[in-house]
Parts: sequence; structure tokens; C-alpha cells
Amino acid sequence: MINSRARTASYIWRKLGQFVLTLFALSLIVFFIARLTPGDPLRAFYGDAVERMGVEQLAAAKERLGLNDSLITQYINWFQNALHGDFGISFKYKQDVLSVIEQVYMNTLLLTTVCFVLIFILGLLLAIFCVRHEGRLVDRLICQIGVATNSIPEFFIALILIMIFAVNLGVLPSSGAYSVGQAGNLTDRLEHLVLPVLAIVISHLWYCAYLMRNKLSEEVRAEYVLLAKVKGLSQRRIIYTHCLKNIMPAVVSIMAIFLPHLLGGAYVIEMVFSFPGLGSLGFESAKYHDYNMLMVICLMTGVVVILTNMLAQVVNEKLDSRMAYEQVDFEEDSSLEGRVAHE
Amino acid sequence: MNRFNLNDQKRPYRSITILIFVIVGCIFADLFIPYVPSYMNAAEISQAPSSNHLFGTDAMGRDIFSMIWYGGRLSLFIGLLATLISTALAILYGCASGLAGEKLDDCLMRFTEILMSVPQILLVIFIQAMFGDATAVSIAIVIGLTSWMAVAKMVRSEVKQIRNADYVLAARTMHGGFFYILWNHLMPNFMSAILFMIITNLGGAIALEATLSYLGVGLPIATVSWGSLMALSQKSMLSGSWWTLLIPGIFLVVTLICITQVGEYTRTRNRREQLL
Repeated sequence: MINSRARTASYIWRKLGQFVLTLFALSLIVFFIARLTPGDPLRAFYGDAVERMGVEQLAAAKERLGLNDSLITQYINWFQNALHGDFGISFKYKQDVLSVIEQVYMNTLLLTTVCFVLIFILGLLLAIFCVRHEGRLVDRLICQIGVATNSIPEFFIALILIMIFAVNLGVLPSSGAYSVGQAGNLTDRLEHLVLPVLAIVISHLWYCAYLMRNKLSEEVRAEYVLLAKVKGLSQRRIIYTHCLKNIMPAVVSIMAIFLPHLLGGAYVIEMVFSFPGLGSLGFESAKYHDYNMLMVICLMTGVVVILTNMLAQVVNEKLDSRMAYEQVDFEEDSSLEGRVAHE
Repeated sequence: MNRFNLNDQKRPYRSITILIFVIVGCIFADLFIPYVPSYMNAAEISQAPSSNHLFGTDAMGRDIFSMIWYGGRLSLFIGLLATLISTALAILYGCASGLAGEKLDDCLMRFTEILMSVPQILLVIFIQAMFGDATAVSIAIVIGLTSWMAVAKMVRSEVKQIRNADYVLAARTMHGGFFYILWNHLMPNFMSAILFMIITNLGGAIALEATLSYLGVGLPIATVSWGSLMALSQKSMLSGSWWTLLIPGIFLVVTLICITQVGEYTRTRNRREQLL
């Protein structure tokens, strides 16, 4: 009993250590991207005002931003401030970066969570549907759509949806998170959520379903399925009670690997629908070269993805205890990643 | 597993034909486009497709038919340059990681994983914002710098499998250098495995440039590409001029789907060869 508790504790510590280390590396990478690119941080911070500055003002500005220190010192300073929640001031909004993000991050969280759950459930259902009708027209059609939508840019799908539902039919609003003065109105908020969710789901669902379908279609050819068939179990029963359980780890991995692409897509969609969230904030900041803001958005997104990946790993280890001891099949993993990696 | 995919035995002739048509049309655009693409005719703003303007004009009075062919050059150029950069980086990085010792290999792979945890589009706008205002070359470089990770992982796992093959060891004992072995022994072995990823990277780069330019963080509107061409379309669409959105969009999407089809074909063919 004590032994198992100790093992759990050491497991949690190991995971926590991994997480902190990865986080540290991520912050290092993001920081050095910001400082090693040939752009001038001074210019990024003060904009065109740099050209009007005199020599002394320039020196003072450099001193204030700490640009005269070595890169390592700069990083340590930045990191210490970051630990206190101080990520600098947004150049565009002239406010603390975190206080700007505070106002919008819930919108993004809501949008992406809804989409993630929808894609997971619908993808799995579609995959089962495809495998039950394998080789028929529906199946081939869904696979083709999966490959095709994966290469269509999200913004185009979003624009088509706006054209159909907002311009021609006029049934749904095309921008914002709520109508003017309706911030507290729940139905109004939901109405504004419909098109962005639809756009994200349409651009990602099919490919996700296609990947899951391929996994499932390999699984139904396993020998135990043949045995189950011989026993006289129905196809439905075999898929739902046996195959699904076995492909769950793969499905969880697919969803985890999919997350960064889903988030990237969601950011684009937010921008198209002028939906106030991290994505539209990010693109607006990019227009003004507001790099403090971009740094934090990159960090936040990275943290969410890393956390989800670790969660997926833990879930997989719970689902299939062999995984805790074996190395995950690297080759298969990377080929899957390669296929998901291209939107 | 190929017998379960029903469509992959055919060569994608249709896609290849369309792609060649688009590429040739873009290269020789000067020969047949009726208007100067950047010419803004204030008298003919947002006109519907007619015999005068085959695909209509946009909100700035530019002829869309001319702009599509002319802008395609830039889009294809950005796609090609970005793919070239990302492929070169991926091959170097993947080989270095595959040939390195276990510790270094672990570190290098961790690095790619962390980079992959940030969505590519976010990395691109972040780096581009640091670079300053975007040009076609800078966008291509930034896209190239952010899309090599998945290919590098693939290269690494391929290299790991063949690094101890007799011919590689023989080349090493004869003091074959890193680049000699890479070029003569490693690359011929893994090129077919990563070819489909390179092709999908090409499509991805074109799509990414279009997205960035559309959202106003890529090329400026005055520089014509498929993305910047559509940057004005959302507003004009709301006023009813559907052609500013649909026609360039269909061009872009058809090109991307064709590239994907070719990529899918190389992937399934490669898998078949491995099975045989």
C-alpha cells in the first residue's frame, strides 16, 4: 500500500519536473526568437518614434529596456519578472499585457473547448459510420472530403459560411462575440458562437475522422475480431465493445497532436469573425509589431498544448498500462504527426 | 494496408494537368492578361463579371482575371522558396539528430517537440513581427523556418534505421564526410519517404501565405498575391459582390487540393513500395 502510494508520488513528481523543464525551454525559445531576429526591439517597442529620438534619448530608452545587458542577463531579468506575472507592457494598448489578455482569454477557451469536444465526438461517430460502410460511396466520399478540407485554408471556409448564413440567408450574425449592449444576453452570445464553431468544426472534423477511421479499419482486421465474428457477435457489438476500447489510446494521441492545429485554425477564424479572443488579439498585435503581447500569446498557447499532451500521455497510460513501460512506437508517432502537421 | 484505400492506384492525372495549367498560366501571364494588374480604374469599381472584365473587378477597380494570374506567381514563388528552406533545414537537422548520440538526439527531438507545441501561424506572425514589415522573401523565409519540424522528425527516424547499415559504415571507415554520406547514402534512402511531406508542405506554405495576407499581417494589399487579392473581399462580399471572394478563392483551393492529391499519391505509392 505504502509502496504504491510512493510510486504514485514519484510519478507525479516526475511529470511535474518534466512539465517545468519543458516550460522553461519554451520560454527560452520564445525569448530568443524575440531577441535574435534581425528586427530592432527598440523599434518594436517605440515604433516610428525611434526615428525622432536623439542620441541621448536612444541611449536612455535602451537602458530602460535593458538592451545593454548581455542576452543571458536580459533573459534572467525577463524570466524573474515573468514569474511575478509581469510580462511587460503592450506597446499597442499601453497596458500591462496580462490585463489585456484577461479580458479576452475566456472567449477563446470557450470557443476552442466547444470545438474540441465536438470534433472528438463527431469524428469518432463518423469514423465508426465509415468503417461500418467501408468501401461504399459514403465512406469514400468522407475520406476524400477529409483529404480535401485539410488543404483548404480556414479563412475561406469561414468566408463561405458568412456568405451563406449571414449575407444571403441573414439568419446569423457575422462578427463579434455579442451584439452592442447585449453582453449579458445568453442566446445572443450563443448565436454569435454558431458560425465560428461551425467554421472550425467543418475545417478540421473530416480529416480527424479520416485518421480515426484508418485506425479503426486496421483494428477490425485483427484476429480477435474474427474470433468474435465466429462467436456470432454482431458487427455493432464488436466495434463498440471491443474495437473502440483498443483504438482509444490512438484516438487520444490523434486529438493531442491535433490540438496545435486546431488552435492555430481557431485563431484565424477568430480574426475573420472579429471574435474577441487570443487569436484576434495576436493578429492585431502582429500588425503593430507588439512583440511583448505576441510572446505571451505564444507562451500561453504552448503551455496549453504541452499540458494537453501530458494529459493525453497520462490518460493513455491509464487506458493501456503497457505504455507506461514501453517507449511509444516512435516511427508510427512521427508519421502520424507529419500527416497531421500540414493544414 | 493499401487495398483498403480504393482510389490510390490511379495516378492523379487530373490534378497534375490542372497544376501544370495553373503554373504555365502564371509564368506566361504577361502574354495574355488584358489589364495591368496593379492598375486601379476608379471608374470601374466592383463590377460583376462581364466580357470586358472576365472575372469582374474588385473594390479598388483592379481587374481580377489579370490579378489572379499575376498574383499566382508570387504565391507559387513563396510556396517554393519556403518549401526549399524547410526541406533543407529538415534534412540537415534530421540527419544530425539521427546520427548523433543518444543524449544529443534526445535534446534535439525535445526541441522540435516544443517548437511544434506552438501553432505554426502564431510562430510565423511572431517572427515576422520581429523582422519588421513583410516582403515576399521574408514571408517565405519565416514560413520555411517554422515548417521543418515534422519533416525533420521523419528524416531522423529514417536515418536511425539506416545509420548502421554496412554501406554507411563502409563509407565512414573510408573517412566519408558528413555531407558526402548525407548526399550519397542517406538522402537516396529517405527521399521517397519524405516526398509526400514536402509536397504537402508546399501546399501548406501557399495556404499560410494566403491566410496571412488575407488577415492583413502578410503582404500589403498593393503587392498582388492570391491572399492579398482576397484581403478586401470580406467587405465587398457584405455589399453583395461575391466574385471578389469566390473566384480567387476557388483558384487557390483548387490548386491546393491538386497539390494535396499529388502528395497523397506519393504517400500511398511509397507505402506500397515498402510493403512489396
